[in-house]
Amino acid sequence: MASQTQTPAGGTLDPVTFEVLKNSFVTLVDEMAEQILRTCHSFVIYARDFSCALCDAEGNTIMQGSQDIAVHVGTLHLKAKAVLEDFAGDIHEGDVFAVNDPYRGGTHFSDVSIVRPIFVDGELIAMAQANGHWADMGGGTPGSFDVSATDHFGEGVRIPPVRIVDRGVVRHDVIGLVAHNTRAPGDIVGDCHAQVEATRIAEQEVFRLIDKYGTATVTTAFAEVQDYVERLTRARIAELPDGVWETEDHVDADPARGEGLVAIRVKMTIDGDEIRYDLSGSDPAIASFLNSGAGVAFSGAIASAKTFLPEIPLNSGFYRAIKVDVGPEGTVVNAGWPNAVTGCVSGAYEKIMNAGFELWSQLLPERAMACCFNLEYLLIGGRDGRIDERPYFMWYDWMAGGWGGRNGKDGQNATSPVFGVGLAVQPLEGQERLTPVLTTVHEIIPDSGGPGLHRGGCGVRKGGELTAVESSVMSYCCDRSRSVAWGIAGGLPSLPHGVWLNRGTARERFLGANFSGVAVGPGDRFERPSAGGGGYGDPLERDPAEVLEDVIDGYVTVARAARDYGVVVEEVDAEICDFRVDEQATAALRERQRAERPGWLDEDPEQVAARYRNGELDVLDLVRHHGVILDWGTGELLPRTTEQYRALLRRRSAAHWADAA
Amino acid sequence: MERVTGTVVAVDVGGTFTDVCVLDQGSGVLDVAKVPSTPDPIDGVLRGVAQAGVELSEVALFCHGTTVATNALITRRLPPAAMVTTKGFRDVIEIRRGTRDDLWDAYKDNAAPYIRRRDRLEVGERVDQTGRVVEPLDEEAARDVARILARRGVQAVAVCFVNAYANPAHEERMAEILREALPDAAISTSSGVLPELFEHERFSTTVANAVLSPLVSGYVNELEDRLQDDGYDGDLLILHSGGGVMTPEAVDKLSVRLAASGIAAGAVACRYTAELCGYPNAIGLDMGGTSTDISLVHDGELRTTNEWFVEYGYPICFPSIEVLTIGAGGGSLATIDSAGSLRNGPQSAGSLPGPACYGAGGEEPTNTDANLVLGRLGSELVGGGMTLDADKAREAIRSRIAEPLGLGVEQAAKAIIEVANANMADAVRLISLQRGYDPREFALVVFGGAGALHGAALARELSVPTVVVPPRPGAWSALGCLMVDIRHDLSEMFLTPADAADPDALEEAFGRLETEGRRLLRDEGVGDERIALERSIAMRYLGQWRSMDVPVESGGDLAAAVERFHAEHEREFSYRRDDAPVELYRLQLTAIGRTEEVRLPRNDAAAGASLPAPAAVRPVWFDGEEEPQETPVYDRAALPAGVQFVGPAVIDQLDTTTFVPPGVLVEIDEWLNIRMHITEGS
Repeated sequence: MASQTQTPAGGTLDPVTFEVLKNSFVTLVDEMAEQILRTCHSFVIYARDFSCALCDAEGNTIMQGSQDIAVHVGTLHLKAKAVLEDFAGDIHEGDVFAVNDPYRGGTHFSDVSIVRPIFVDGELIAMAQANGHWADMGGGTPGSFDVSATDHFGEGVRIPPVRIVDRGVVRHDVIGLVAHNTRAPGDIVGDCHAQVEATRIAEQEVFRLIDKYGTATVTTAFAEVQDYVERLTRARIAELPDGVWETEDHVDADPARGEGLVAIRVKMTIDGDEIRYDLSGSDPAIASFLNSGAGVAFSGAIASAKTFLPEIPLNSGFYRAIKVDVGPEGTVVNAGWPNAVTGCVSGAYEKIMNAGFELWSQLLPERAMACCFNLEYLLIGGRDGRIDERPYFMWYDWMAGGWGGRNGKDGQNATSPVFGVGLAVQPLEGQERLTPVLTTVHEIIPDSGGPGLHRGGCGVRKGGELTAVESSVMSYCCDRSRSVAWGIAGGLPSLPHGVWLNRGTARERFLGANFSGVAVGPGDRFERPSAGGGGYGDPLERDPAEVLEDVIDGYVTVARAARDYGVVVEEVDAEICDFRVDEQATAALRERQRAERPGWLDEDPEQVAARYRNGELDVLDLVRHHGVILDWGTGELLPRTTEQYRALLRRRSAAHWADAA
Repeated sequence: MERVTGTVVAVDVGGTFTDVCVLDQGSGVLDVAKVPSTPDPIDGVLRGVAQAGVELSEVALFCHGTTVATNALITRRLPPAAMVTTKGFRDVIEIRRGTRDDLWDAYKDNAAPYIRRRDRLEVGERVDQTGRVVEPLDEEAARDVARILARRGVQAVAVCFVNAYANPAHEERMAEILREALPDAAISTSSGVLPELFEHERFSTTVANAVLSPLVSGYVNELEDRLQDDGYDGDLLILHSGGGVMTPEAVDKLSVRLAASGIAAGAVACRYTAELCGYPNAIGLDMGGTSTDISLVHDGELRTTNEWFVEYGYPICFPSIEVLTIGAGGGSLATIDSAGSLRNGPQSAGSLPGPACYGAGGEEPTNTDANLVLGRLGSELVGGGMTLDADKAREAIRSRIAEPLGLGVEQAAKAIIEVANANMADAVRLISLQRGYDPREFALVVFGGAGALHGAALARELSVPTVVVPPRPGAWSALGCLMVDIRHDLSEMFLTPADAADPDALEEAFGRLETEGRRLLRDEGVGDERIALERSIAMRYLGQWRSMDVPVESGGDLAAAVERFHAEHEREFSYRRDDAPVELYRLQLTAIGRTEEVRLPRNDAAAGASLPAPAAVRPVWFDGEEEPQETPVYDRAALPAGVQFVGPAVIDQLDTTTFVPPGVLVEIDEWLNIRMHITEGS
């Protein structure tokens, strides 16, 4: 009988039952996701900032949704385990729990998981989990992103595991307690409802499988699906060479310590069929909310590995073969209570991911990829003066941006962040109905892709004008205004992030890449870029024909084709897209740049800054060719940051040029 | 209702084959023909018609489903086209919603937009969400853009302005200016194509319409001419994605509606068969060589979706019949992955080399090989068109699957089929259970070359009680083109809380849509007596993002419609919120022009219809049995209406094989469908 046959690698289920149940678990989790998408209230969830999982009786993840947000990977089992720990011996059929605690493995307060234990014959056999980003969780600023918060009390409502349905009876008091500490209680209740019902769908599906295959077979499959992923992962890792790889990526600054990049150090060891990440060498926790908790640090490491092993499904089996030491509490990657962590997804998480990309690019050069733009979101909240009742409004916006240049092809233009490629940008026409903010531009930025043999993908510019706003403030959560998205293998960086207010007017202000509570009023205009990806390989090696195509499409300007690629393009008749490469001039220019460029990184930074201030150099010249970082608003040199940045540019870019001394 | 008395012809052009169905309404004879599709699809159409022995001058109605539009979008063989948009927004269609189809594989890219960045030009203009002009159209810039596009020789232009759904004036003026400079180009405006909220979705649909326009309307008009040259003087009706037909004149304006024409045909054929058999609920399973299309009929209606695309990231937001396509077909490859798990598809052996048993060099086992090894498929296909090599099939399964798993060859073959069926069952669950439909209340209509081999097992897996195999499964989808009415889908945004909705404004808005719907149908020569107008309102709980369509009657009670919304929400999502306010989102009107009814011949059961002797007997392996059973093989053509028998059996015909497991009750109905009744434990 087939049912007694063992799979070669050691499972006890026959291969058919195993495959059928494995696929059923995928379907079940995706059914949860579909239901949430169709019933949610939070536009953040609607933009697909949510994740679902089926966990086993110990809280381990059996299956995660196929379209889930990357940063939630590796946190869902921790939240399930937190529920099991706090309610040990007190979990009953018909109970449902909520948890968002970032100090217990959660991401940030906005991500609330609803966890439903599933019982069969009185025994807990599994847990269904739906995790969604609620639009507001209270705290000091609308949308609950307060960069000035230095601890959790200013950030939002912390939900340790709490019971919201008690043996089938909804605890309206508990849900109400949470909802009434937010700015949009009605939507919070709606989303809570949508998530609770989604977990019920999963429960019904588990019951159906149990009716058909029996409890023992299904629970065995829970374990074997994890074993299966572990086997796949280990087999893949065993093919990779043993060794130790190390790098660091950086958060812009620690407000408590003045200027200077904050290091996140990632060490990766491959030993046989196992990978160990070690983040313990990272800098101390900083005085802003860009720190992460242990769960997000774990997630960042896991997600970077998954990006290079995309064919392997995700569950706790993956985590058995890839281990992460997040180090002691008190660092920027494992901040610990009560350090602020709400901006972790723009801060530490992004850096762990991209540092991972750099390591894996050395390990698997055929899948190499330079740094991607940083997750960013701008929030404007206040009163909507278009309506008599002056209701509360929130314009909460995030952008797509450029991904890193790759081995053999350019980076992807205008793509969702590494935070979660399923996170959809919002339609401005919807935003204009709901908020008194008129979008003035939403377009790709020419020259934003980091130059390279294979260019980084282009970033995006989005800006707007405030119309009938009252009592409104603006906040921004991003990073990489100084730790600019970098190139690899000789490729060059993209451009700095940061928000401009009333640019080009007398009231111009550069607000930087992290701020909160900036008062704004009618007529104010704002604009910010998302960076492109870093370049891959030496831009002076790029085929001039490709540069020409980029110029025709406006991804690269004629001026920067010369400056960044040494390619001289003449405009013959732009109306009919007639441009030509001047081959001779190009050869001469490239030769000159090869000779001169090593010296650019040694020029006196103060002089470079002065040339920037008098208009001779622009921001792209500084971050790409001179390695000089300024406060982009005042033009003031940041000496320590510049020193660090130059060292990185030498290592990732200059050292790889064929003509490097 | 009027009935067509002459011959009706349906032609479905697919990627590989062009299928022709000819029904002589007088004699009731249904003929099919299948010819390879040709580089110019019209050649294939006419060749197929000729092969079917049809005299076009005697044809009363010619209906057509085509993948011309789908293929043009996939292969990007598109005419030079441009986009004109509001200053600052030329990249909306490139930024999309930012998401990528493959979340984790950073080396898998989204397709590029249909119009390159260099051909997306901007003009100054802006209206706000209420339609108020914030910045007037810069006429000088508009004329300049038109002049430049004329110099570039573009054949199609999409005009896409921000908030144009709220005020089309700027777009219309821009189109006028373009027409003056480019008299031969096809101009599509976003307010004309899809006057709905959300810029990317509207622009993307408009761009698809623009790039398809010269091509598709050229194709349809040429087809019409060539049919007329060959003597046809009736209407040419083209199946659109929404499961209606449209005239060549309507195609001129909305070419994008043909984007899923070819896919819709099979779904419509499923609905027709279900209706004929008296099943209000049915799941259609059109299983071919490389993929399976699954559709769902509930209460006699096909499910439609407004979120459809040919390539990820570029939505085409017209109602399209919801068809779930999965990579499971006769040629799907069975493999063992590196962790020792048995997988089936989505990779396929394709038509070359094809399954191992084709003997054309394929060495990897497929579902077809497994069915052959199990005796469910015969090695001599009826008509002798092709001989399958059972030894090659056995060898492929033995070396690639059976040995690594420590199974016998037949056990391995069974395992392959079981996994294939489980994958299809999962897909059916996604489209049924996930939407709150219980498969036990559905019939399974199986067609395509491979559907009837898997139908019974799949039905058992899903607890579906009945399987229907139509008379000509291989060409059945073509018939779908004949079985629909002319249909236009119109819409208007109407965002307001339900309890604040002004009934007069609502009535007025529906009135506008109805006037437009009537005008479209009259222009197509549809008489008033054949026009039907169906209203629906998209609603949601205030604060929700997705809406649900709720049918409403003309002049009907809004409160009743809101109550229907609560009920539908509960059915689909298993909860309702009576305390939550409901919001109206969009008004929709479907304008239907009824075409003449086409009927298949009825074959009343002859008294004492009896089971003929089997054409052959061969050993066949069944699930859960250790040894093969000697099983009768019947020639389908020899099975008369009214005959009943109990499986096991194999029923052969030219275009498919039906596998009847033991205990399944088979009945040939009056439409010559095979109906298999699956009972528990059968």
